[in-house]
Amino acid sequence: MLLIACPWCGERDETEYHYGGQAHVAHPADPHALSDAEWGAYLFVRDNPKGEFAERWMHAAGCRRWFNVVRHTVTHDISAVYPAGQPRPVPPSDEHSEVTA
Amino acid sequence: MPDQLPEHPDWLWRTPDPKPSYDVVVVGAGGHGLATAYYLARNHGISNVAVLERGWLAGGNMARNTTIIRSNYLCEESAAIYEHALKLWEGLPEELEYDFLFSQRGVLNLAHTLQDVREGTRRVGANRLGGVDAEWLDPDEVRAFCPIVNTSPDVRYPVLGATLQPRAGIAKHDHVAWALARKADEHGVDLIQNCEVTGFVRDGGGRVVGVETTRGRIGAGRVALAAAGHTSTLTDLLGLRLPIQSHPLQALVSELLEPVHPTVVMSNHVHVYVSQAHKGELVMGAGIDSYNGYGQRGSFHQIEHQMAAALELFPIFARAHVLRTWGGIVDVTPDASPIIGLTPVENLYLNCGWGTGGFKATPASGWVYADTIAHGRPHQLAAPFALERFATGALIDEHGAAAVAH
Amino acid sequence: MTVDGFALAHLRRSPLGHLADRLAAAEATGPGGVRLREIPFLAQLNLRLDPAGPAAARAAEALGAPLPTLAGSVVATADLRVLWLGPDEWLVVGADGAAPTIEHALRRALGDEPGSVVDVSANRTTLELSGPSARSVLEQGCSLDLHPRAFGPGRCAQTTVAKVQLVLDQIDAEPSYRLLVRGSFAQYLADWLLDATGE
Repeated sequence: MLLIACPWCGERDETEYHYGGQAHVAHPADPHALSDAEWGAYLFVRDNPKGEFAERWMHAAGCRRWFNVVRHTVTHDISAVYPAGQPRPVPPSDEHSEVTA
Repeated sequence: MPDQLPEHPDWLWRTPDPKPSYDVVVVGAGGHGLATAYYLARNHGISNVAVLERGWLAGGNMARNTTIIRSNYLCEESAAIYEHALKLWEGLPEELEYDFLFSQRGVLNLAHTLQDVREGTRRVGANRLGGVDAEWLDPDEVRAFCPIVNTSPDVRYPVLGATLQPRAGIAKHDHVAWALARKADEHGVDLIQNCEVTGFVRDGGGRVVGVETTRGRIGAGRVALAAAGHTSTLTDLLGLRLPIQSHPLQALVSELLEPVHPTVVMSNHVHVYVSQAHKGELVMGAGIDSYNGYGQRGSFHQIEHQMAAALELFPIFARAHVLRTWGGIVDVTPDASPIIGLTPVENLYLNCGWGTGGFKATPASGWVYADTIAHGRPHQLAAPFALERFATGALIDEHGAAAVAH
Repeated sequence: MTVDGFALAHLRRSPLGHLADRLAAAEATGPGGVRLREIPFLAQLNLRLDPAGPAAARAAEALGAPLPTLAGSVVATADLRVLWLGPDEWLVVGADGAAPTIEHALRRALGDEPGSVVDVSANRTTLELSGPSARSVLEQGCSLDLHPRAFGPGRCAQTTVAKVQLVLDQIDAEPSYRLLVRGSFAQYLADWLLDATGE
């Protein structure tokens, strides 16, 4: 059972949450401008990484808010939790390299 | 006391070093990869084939499934390919000269609601029209066929009836893999374990002409993926994005019991499927974990849920102990149907997305995939399952009949 | 409750009315004591608005207390309990019969601002679990840390107890809890609690 920290309610069991798949998938600005293949890709194709994955969860049995989680799909380690609408946090190691660059 | 242990049996296949190149390189030595290699050699005379496996042979989902074989799918495209598989299963023990305990003990799909009854009777009708054996049983007939199912009317979800496919059943999964491996090896196919594909070799025109592996570069006329849950980690290397998501799917077995369960019982509504293996353990599975996962493990509440469901259907199991639980990595598509065929990358072939139901399809999957690879165009039974359907919208929606799990 | 002057209150049935005697009979006294009762028909108003907008202050004035902005906190007045449900959502709980008055006041406070005021009194009934053993009873089916270091009077949570989703509101340090549960799950939860209090 995953233990997920809701940004509002704190740590709760996985069973209180609903999974929402990949985060940061924007709805196309103008769906009518897309080809069938592009629309199909928007509807059906999502990243499926073996490693860190930015994904959406919703605290269904709690405050019912959607939020984002960065979780490792092998170890289940959760490295970040952040509100919906915010960009994916930059991992500390990358921040460091930016500072030193 | 090592001196009392039996002699280690002879290996059923060679352990060759990879050659510099092959006509076809199959990636993944699970059931589908092995069946593909076997039929490439047997049906198409293509035996200069390597099957590359990052771990050990048949150690992924082929070692982790609940061994159910059936073909009673709703859509005709699905029923056709699964029925092709079932017909092949019926001849495979003889053809492969290996008794892998294929037991046609039938499968019941229980109906607990009016909607279940409608879906079940509709599917029985559709199956019969498509030449697939199917019957509708009322609750008394269910009890007669499988006396240990709780058919009393005063339970939360009473059994209102069931579909029965008499020719369905189970088989010993690892023996199936070994049988296919031995025959493929006899045809000259190289089965190469501990050989992970880490990249693809492409020529100036973008064609795939080989793979990079942990055991060096291997040239390939054609590369055929059969990597289940790891497929998109491979296609990501080519910038090819696929409509699959990899999820944990868990199963469990009980301790060994006397034979009590004569068939296979599935319940979409109460949400479990149960059979009894030849050795005596009850084999159970249920739904995928909701989240993506490559860890070959899932969350315990899924196990709890499926055991609660099993007890509701089979009160007789109340004192059975769980012996072992495990998880596999299943590649799930948006319409719960597989993807088989060519890709936008020349010389690269795709067979994935079998989700929770790949084992039963093993021979047909290999048959149609081998044909597709050999001829460079989709086999007739594979054509509806092409990747293009996610652009055309011609989905094959099997969420209802595919399994308990999606 | 009246409709066109006719008194209808005697027609009401609370979800656990038929269990009142069993709940009362299950009371245990003493240092390990625990009590269980239904508090039927509490007024419940769901309020959504921007906590930083002008309606928030007007709502606070109408309620006689500021809207709690700390996740999982409760603000109580003499007549009302205001429970945090989300960053822009609250549950205002009052006495039986108070819903129309509260709704009217909150609607005036909301004015033309984006938000909503909905009478959800019929959504849930309330079980009160109290006594020295109340926490250990609850902990049999609730994975939250209810120890006083982590939870106490003035705290609320939306969570699950025995797999039932509910709003948990700790009233006092005895401890006493209110479990606001949907009507259709109330019987199951009451049965489960009766079973748990027996252990």
